[in-house]
Amino acid sequence: MENNQTADSEETKSCEYDPNVNQDELIMAQEKQIAEEIKANIAMVGELDDLSSLEREYSNDPVYFSKVATLLPKFSNVRRTRPDGNCFLRGFIFAYLEYCIYHREELTRFKQYLEASKEELFEMGFPKFTTEDFNDMFMEVVTDLEGSGSIDRVEAIINDAGTSDYLVVYLRLLISAHLQKNAEFFSFFIEGGRTVGEFCKQEVEPMYRECDHLHIVALTAALGVGVRVMYLDRGEGSSVVSHDFPEDKDPVIHLLYRPGHYDILYKA
Amino acid sequence: MSLLKEPPPGVTVDVDQAHTKLTEWVVHMEGAPGTLYEGEKFQLQFKFSPKYPFDSPEVIFVGENIPIHPHIYSNGHICLSILTEDWSPALSVQAICLSIISMLSSCKEKKRPPDNSYYVKTCSANPKKTKWWYHDDTV
Repeated sequence: MENNQTADSEETKSCEYDPNVNQDELIMAQEKQIAEEIKANIAMVGELDDLSSLEREYSNDPVYFSKVATLLPKFSNVRRTRPDGNCFLRGFIFAYLEYCIYHREELTRFKQYLEASKEELFEMGFPKFTTEDFNDMFMEVVTDLEGSGSIDRVEAIINDAGTSDYLVVYLRLLISAHLQKNAEFFSFFIEGGRTVGEFCKQEVEPMYRECDHLHIVALTAALGVGVRVMYLDRGEGSSVVSHDFPEDKDPVIHLLYRPGHYDILYKA
Repeated sequence: MSLLKEPPPGVTVDVDQAHTKLTEWVVHMEGAPGTLYEGEKFQLQFKFSPKYPFDSPEVIFVGENIPIHPHIYSNGHICLSILTEDWSPALSVQAICLSIISMLSSCKEKKRPPDNSYYVKTCSANPKKTKWWYHDDTV
């Protein structure tokens, strides 16, 4: 007991507020350090892993372990993404471009969509100079894939920060545009008394802001691309619940959701 | 660039200075007619890091006239969420200028932020090192 108390009081002492130190700077330095560590250790989109690696991850967790077991017959592989708030978008665009490589007609359709989306964003008042820049980069990537398209190429593109972040920003603009175009409908789902416009400025357009249900609904509807999300959580039952976005579309991309994070799944 | 060709009303870029150092700009700004700042002239300084546009520019008021406003500290620091937390890489310099002009234009009473003297004494020279609390969007 006594020992514990000493330890406690020492700890309190070391955490004591020091008015001579700028606390804001301390907090931000620590946040930055955590972000840097994640960046140094986890690729934006990692290598193809066997799904049994998930089982190993949960060997001491009976709930997750038994749920992962139900995924095994349906899925064979997983690709992990960096948990930096962009994981859904990075996982989505990786899996989608990979799909497009094997379905060239979809790549052509996507290219046409991208081309047309630029004008629409301008009309909606997105800053022209910057929007154009992000669109140009996306077009370059798609054109590049039309030519040499291989999975190695997709891996290289998505793991190159300079390119990958541009794609993520543009997807964020597309989500924002779709939400604002359908503001009347989406306004019912926004919490905190905010308008759809405010929600987009705070939760969609800034980098590293996590994607929630609304983001996914908007992106998949805007692009017309079906995504199935498998929800691995502590919810009731022994199976993994899945949800399709949009509901009426056959999924071409499968993502694994664990609270706060998305990875890519591959069908067996 | 586009800010030079089609700037928002009352905004001009100090071209000579921008030419000498591309990562540091000064933008001249005039208070909009019909607002509390009509006829006043201000200077905004933009500093761009190598990570721009994924990292927001550092934007502060400089020069002799720092607008007296509930979100602008007397050292020129501005409490505006798009400059830190809510920064989006798609925001242009033009869009930032517009936000600042609109923040000034909607002001109903010229006064400094309530914690001005404490903040100015203790803050870092770089406003991006402050963890801002954004609470009031009405002014």
